[in-house]
Amino acid sequence: MFEVWSTPLDPAALRVSMKNVEAGGFVVFEGWVRNHNEGKTVERLEYEAYEAVAISEGNAIIAEATERFGLLEARCVHRVGSLELEDMAVWVGVSTAHRGEAFDACRFIIDSVKHRLPIWKKEHYTDGDSGWVNCERCAHAGMALEEATCKHNAPTLSEASYYARQIHLKEVGQAGQEKLRNARVLVVGAGGLGSPVLQYLAAAGIGHLGICEGDGLEASNLHRQILFDAQSVGESKATLAAQRLAALNPFITVTTITERITRNNVVKLVADYDVLVDCTDNFETKFLLNDVAVLHKKRLIQASIYQYEGQLFVYDPKHDGPCVRCLWPEMPKPGCVGSCAEVGVLGAIAGVFGTLQAVEVLKHLLDLPDKLQGDTFFLDLLSLRSHKVKAERNATCPVCSTQATITAIEAEAPVELDATELNGNLGDYALIDIRERKEAEASPLPVTPALRCPAGDIHLDDLHIDVPEPWLLVCTRGMRSKYLALALRKAGCEKVYSLRGGAPALEQVK
Amino acid sequence: METKTLTIGYYALLREQRGLSEETLDSTAATPGELYAALKNEHGFSLESNQLKVVINDAFKAWDTPLNPGDNVVFIPPVAGG
Ligand SMILES: [Zn+2]
Repeated sequence: MFEVWSTPLDPAALRVSMKNVEAGGFVVFEGWVRNHNEGKTVERLEYEAYEAVAISEGNAIIAEATERFGLLEARCVHRVGSLELEDMAVWVGVSTAHRGEAFDACRFIIDSVKHRLPIWKKEHYTDGDSGWVNCERCAHAGMALEEATCKHNAPTLSEASYYARQIHLKEVGQAGQEKLRNARVLVVGAGGLGSPVLQYLAAAGIGHLGICEGDGLEASNLHRQILFDAQSVGESKATLAAQRLAALNPFITVTTITERITRNNVVKLVADYDVLVDCTDNFETKFLLNDVAVLHKKRLIQASIYQYEGQLFVYDPKHDGPCVRCLWPEMPKPGCVGSCAEVGVLGAIAGVFGTLQAVEVLKHLLDLPDKLQGDTFFLDLLSLRSHKVKAERNATCPVCSTQATITAIEAEAPVELDATELNGNLGDYALIDIRERKEAEASPLPVTPALRCPAGDIHLDDLHIDVPEPWLLVCTRGMRSKYLALALRKAGCEKVYSLRGGAPALEQVK
Repeated sequence: METKTLTIGYYALLREQRGLSEETLDSTAATPGELYAALKNEHGFSLESNQLKVVINDAFKAWDTPLNPGDNVVFIPPVAGG
């Protein structure tokens, strides 16, 4: 809970409110009024808040922290009004099961409060002077720190004027705008493609816009992910995107999903949406989104980019066209084609393809003529050569044909197997000893492995494991094998497991 | 064997490995499968044909489709960047 108080903060009472029988600890941060700021001696100060925004945004921060760090209790109270030296200006408390999350969460909340909330302080100096400072939110927006101009005014514009130019199109009109307002679109990936997609769809007035992105912002994202500011490196991209879109268009509802999309959660995450926009950067998620789109009848607008080129594809369940697997029945193995991280990409290429995706989403929602349906559009921005390629349904497609072998999104099998789970069926697995040669020589396994391949010799982008899956990886304690199994799963090897407990556990398998 | 003039297009990794995005050449290949095998041999492409799609005159086609003079043949690897 986030609150704004005009009366003194009572830390003892606040502390009591944080009690929770499941909590193993409690971390508190108190912000005090100090006697100096930037070389000037401060006598007293006044806090002023734009309360409605501060409270809703403050509660969003608390909710985010609660989810991200698994908090049991979280509370923040900020003072407004006149404060004397040593008075408490802000109080943050979090209770958690373990101390690590408590320290991290407390830090996250106070930093976010300082950074995101429209709260200003006016310092009164001993020389009789005074000044407004500390509105980091305004400073970040590049606004002058003037009392009169520093307020975040709630928008007074009307929806009619916001969308006027678009409603003016005869194919859109009020009726079209209404279709957009009722649309539910989930954008998966707030990166290079997601940046233009999200901005254009938000500005177009998509009523319910979901952002699914599990990553934090990295410096190497900035040249193409123009939704974000350089100063925000390290922060949650989904949250940053939601803030930006809320500022861009106050008339829409934006939902953030900060977990990564997986086979375990995808069905639940897409349930509320009619259109999925695939702005991801890996085959695993792209194929997963295709399968869920086919099986749960969602439109899928997909783009992928490579250096100076890209491709655009639409799957429409209402149209008898192909899906991704009609063309590529099997997911390409990792390493056969490079990713952006490996081969590089020009930022503006992502801008072009993300914008094309946004256009296709709008064409489909507004039912405009000549929308992409079943065809794949290839465009090379170096030669400006393009191909719009026709494709047919594949009669043996593994997901959309009558011979489909993928009929539901099955939850991912756990990566770790216990010795007891292997009783009587150890022979079904290709046992791979990933210990270094010295370790393997020092304590040979009780059964002969199908393959000896030290973890250091396994390269995900150049995989040479020439035994058939399923693979059971074994190391000394089960840590390296688990790590490697997870990495191999992510790289597209589905049937790979790690023996929990490592080599000693193998002795217990009957 | 009949010699045909074909326009060949390359995308993504193949464009990089070939060093150009389009070329016109004469070939005796009867199918895109034969054509790709010859090009792969000549230019040292790292991808096998089963990792690619072939487009002939703006439609995805099977690797054993007969080639005709003047065909526009484009080889396309999968890409996943975002
Ligand atoms: Zn299909």
